[in-house]
Amino acid sequence: MSDFAALVDLDRCTVSPRVFNDQDVYEAELENIFTRTWNMVGHESQIPEPNDYLTTFIGADPVLLTRDANGRVRAFLNSCRHRGMRVCRRDHGNTKLFSCPYHGWSYDSSGKLRGVPQLDNAYHNELNRDEWGLIEVPNVQSFRGLLFANFDPNCESLEDYLGDMAWYLDLVLNRSKNGMVAFPGCHRWRLSGNWKLGAEQFGGDNYHTGALHRSMVEIGLGPEGDYRGDNPWTRDFEVKCINGHGWINFDADGGQPTDSQIAFFEQIRREARETLTPAQADLVLTVQVGTVFPNMSILSFLGFTTVRVWHPRGPKEIHVQSYGLVEKDAPPDVRDLTRKAMGLTFSPSGIFEQDDGVAWGDIANVQGGPIRSQYPFNYQMGHGHGKTMDDKPGLIHPPSTEIGVFGLYEKWREMMSR
Amino acid sequence: MARDDESVSIDLRHEFETVLIDEYWLLDNSQFEDWLDLMAEDIRYWAPVRENLDRDEENFFQADLLTHFDESKAEMMLRVARLRTGFAHAEEPPSRRRHFVSNIKILDAPDPNQAKVASNFIIFRSRPGHEEHLFVGSRRDHWVRLNNNWRLQERLIIFDHDIIENITVFV
Repeated sequence: MSDFAALVDLDRCTVSPRVFNDQDVYEAELENIFTRTWNMVGHESQIPEPNDYLTTFIGADPVLLTRDANGRVRAFLNSCRHRGMRVCRRDHGNTKLFSCPYHGWSYDSSGKLRGVPQLDNAYHNELNRDEWGLIEVPNVQSFRGLLFANFDPNCESLEDYLGDMAWYLDLVLNRSKNGMVAFPGCHRWRLSGNWKLGAEQFGGDNYHTGALHRSMVEIGLGPEGDYRGDNPWTRDFEVKCINGHGWINFDADGGQPTDSQIAFFEQIRREARETLTPAQADLVLTVQVGTVFPNMSILSFLGFTTVRVWHPRGPKEIHVQSYGLVEKDAPPDVRDLTRKAMGLTFSPSGIFEQDDGVAWGDIANVQGGPIRSQYPFNYQMGHGHGKTMDDKPGLIHPPSTEIGVFGLYEKWREMMSR
Repeated sequence: MARDDESVSIDLRHEFETVLIDEYWLLDNSQFEDWLDLMAEDIRYWAPVRENLDRDEENFFQADLLTHFDESKAEMMLRVARLRTGFAHAEEPPSRRRHFVSNIKILDAPDPNQAKVASNFIIFRSRPGHEEHLFVGSRRDHWVRLNNNWRLQERLIIFDHDIIENITVFV
């Protein structure tokens, strides 16, 4: 199977079920997509000091993100050059030397091979340590504190890659003067399903909320009716951005904030008038959800912000790694409420998120049959009805539409065709 | 420990064996509202995320550490109300859940109306299809006796999972 492009029909706006369950497709994605895209690997606040580190993945490759002794953020493959064992098996910390547990090859935070046991009597001093440093991810760049890495030495800049999506990411990441920090810890959970199902939903599927999250509507925590929004085009809209990125903006009731939260949200709104354009500032603190292609998503709601990666683990398994962001200036009681709201709603136990996982697992598990595989999925909603607007970038359509969702598969098709 | 203290402790341990088994009987039988009645009005029900760190570095009490749960009775009631809507699709059709509690240990009983109790749990969940999961861990409870009934005032849930499954169960 090499003609992956045929799996996405650009004219009919359909996608083959095989895109979500085929081992060959998955292996090609690792090669064609994840080695050529900007992948979110962490947040600057998680590695503030020299020799701080954290561990994560890009696609199937284990990654070690460090701040080297000179303060520069670097990313390496977390894999010893000798036999491949991960040189760091902790989530985060601070160390001058990563020593492989297997035979003891040791690397510093700039990836340089420092120590090799028995270099004299076993290697006869013939090993050139300069050649055997950790494999470096050549590009690491920050967008408002979020760190992205790209394996492709000839890649476009992160800024160009994000394009018009940066305008929308700024609604969250640049809404306050002093920016955001990550909560300590990380939500990590396993889901059955294909990684793209998480990415596409956050990148532009508002349509599912009325049905899949109906339980939330029934208990009064979701909008009545069918989530089409009261202010289409202006406050309730979805966006198809370049390069497969997508955004959802939705003006929903923010629960019952405390006085302290209300005061803090007012502070953010004031600061946003200085850090953002007027059109952007008007949208601050609505419900905001987006995906940066391929598999990083963001959701900001009730003052909390989850940034997560849908790590692919084979065609039918996802490991979600979700960090929580909060304004550096948030007072302790606001931070507490923010963290609690994120756990309650969007986390492994989240009362929204639980139901998403079940849908994605079901899709992956039932679509392997030869007959179902012949019939593609429908992504036709709203095509031809999107508009460009003067006050905001991208192709806009009010809820609901699949122009943004399908944009992910257009980009996927382009990258899988190379 | 004086002989008297020891017998108090053994009696209390037996008492809490009953309390905790009765609690899990309610969850086994989906009697969630009756289960909520065991919670004190000011309960804190919380479960920090786990981290892979150097030995003894993990600190559940670290400020701002992310949590799977950190809830008052109001949020716990919300979870139950959601399950009762019939549209909480992660539990429709309902999974088969079986709750096991063991290794009950009285950590402290400063007065006859308070007890700090540790216990281990295993929860088995079977969903439609061959989807079977275990949730394993330990709990640190603070129970208070109110009107002659033990009520849970704080439960720290320590999941023993690194990458956990979608948590639709109560612990």
